[in-house]
Amino acid sequence: MNLQTSELLPGFDHAAFDSNAVFRALLDAMSRPGRIYDLPVNISAPDGLNAAATATLLAMADMDTTVWLSKSCSTKAAGDHLKFHCGCPISTDVKQADFAVARISDDLSFVTDLAVGNAEYPDQSATLILMVDEISDSPSMTLKGPGIKDTHSLAIKNLPESFHRWRADNHHLFPCGVDVIFASPTQIAALSRTTRIEVN
Amino acid sequence: MEQTVKNPADGTSAYNFAYLDEQTKRMIRRALLKAVAIPGYQVPFAGREMPMPYGWGTGGVQVTAAVIGPNDTLKVIDQGADDTTNAVSIRQFFAKTAQVATTEKTAEASIIQTRHRIPEKELREDQVLVYQVPIPEPLRFLEPRETETRKMHALEEYGLMHVKLYEDIARHGHIATTYAYPVMVDDRYVMDPSPTPKFDNPKMNDMAALQLFGAGREKRIYALPPYTKVKSLDFDDHPFEVQTWEDECGMCGARDSYLDEVILDDQGNRMFVCSDTDYCAERQEAGHRGPQHHDQPLSNSKREKAAE
Repeated sequence: MNLQTSELLPGFDHAAFDSNAVFRALLDAMSRPGRIYDLPVNISAPDGLNAAATATLLAMADMDTTVWLSKSCSTKAAGDHLKFHCGCPISTDVKQADFAVARISDDLSFVTDLAVGNAEYPDQSATLILMVDEISDSPSMTLKGPGIKDTHSLAIKNLPESFHRWRADNHHLFPCGVDVIFASPTQIAALSRTTRIEVN
Repeated sequence: MEQTVKNPADGTSAYNFAYLDEQTKRMIRRALLKAVAIPGYQVPFAGREMPMPYGWGTGGVQVTAAVIGPNDTLKVIDQGADDTTNAVSIRQFFAKTAQVATTEKTAEASIIQTRHRIPEKELREDQVLVYQVPIPEPLRFLEPRETETRKMHALEEYGLMHVKLYEDIARHGHIATTYAYPVMVDDRYVMDPSPTPKFDNPKMNDMAALQLFGAGREKRIYALPPYTKVKSLDFDDHPFEVQTWEDECGMCGARDSYLDEVILDDQGNRMFVCSDTDYCAERQEAGHRGPQHHDQPLSNSKREKAAE
């Protein structure tokens, strides 16, 4: 008997419908930066990942996308889960990542190594999936930019100061840059590279 | 609802929900997220062959297939009309392959796929507008080489486009471009709004709905997030203006909508009618009448004709 497969958790109940629902939440989140969306599916997460990050990867990653996992995320369970359900290559080189996954308590210094694309192909950039404990709309950040009517308020629990410095630098790289998806256990929100952040 | 559409003859599964396989949808979805993050930038994607010819909306169909879910209600318009061949066949395609609800009412739709028009009715935040785009590159007729246009976008080098508009003024006294009128998105990318009449350009600015653009033959996807600044290119002394008409819609009497000209006979008689069929029908239901509506009294000239 193969122990590995028997320990695997299930993926989406309905591949077509669930991946569509997760994608629609991501599309809404990315086109309205800072607005918070509930994770539309129930999904079990392997050790090392949370439900929203798992759902995002299952909906978006496959053999064409390289995934990088931070030290605290790269458990055997997470690696097996992604390899089985997404078939995605998992790299230890953060520069190769199409999707980089980290926890907010991790050392986030790797973010400056993420691919930002180039002037002719700014889409060849990485997306950071940052697992957080809590997302709320209390006004610790005020967001402006495309997708936002006047302003959106967003608060991410325990977001370090260095993150804001990196986002400010990232914004200046436009059209290059990294997009961020915040994944709490039950909710998602996104920051597009166009979003201007004022820290209150 | 089933995820696979069954073959009616023998009940075997025929194809995946919304026609495209899941891996193709993921590829398109990744391109869509990038397109939304870089408003106005054309993201290359691995466009598939669809069961309809290029030029019939294969790009828009692929975008719709990647976005549509079982709870969506789809409206498809071609030049504003719900009842033209292209619109009817695409609506039936998704009714069959995704078993979604379809509608002709703008207000009831969650996804509107369009060829060359934006509905007259203001769109809401919970709606998505999907454009069918023939040639996504606004600079293509000025510079045929993709390597060069890519550099021009990278360097924000849009002088050539302004020269083209200036040549219009030099030749005609005004900017004579009336459709596919180039726009500047969020002060960064010049974008082709697809061959919509320039009448529709102001609706793109600050729109509450998400706008997605798919070009199937050219394999490009681009997007405008909601509430994005979209400015039609112009000059200080020749500001952008939309077309205006003396005429009203013959059916509903609208003076604020985009009108199609309909030739009535070979005597030079013609009428104008709203290109947006749903807008026109809704106005007629509300009691608005244009001079050529069938329950309007015949004018003198018409009465003479009818007597002949």
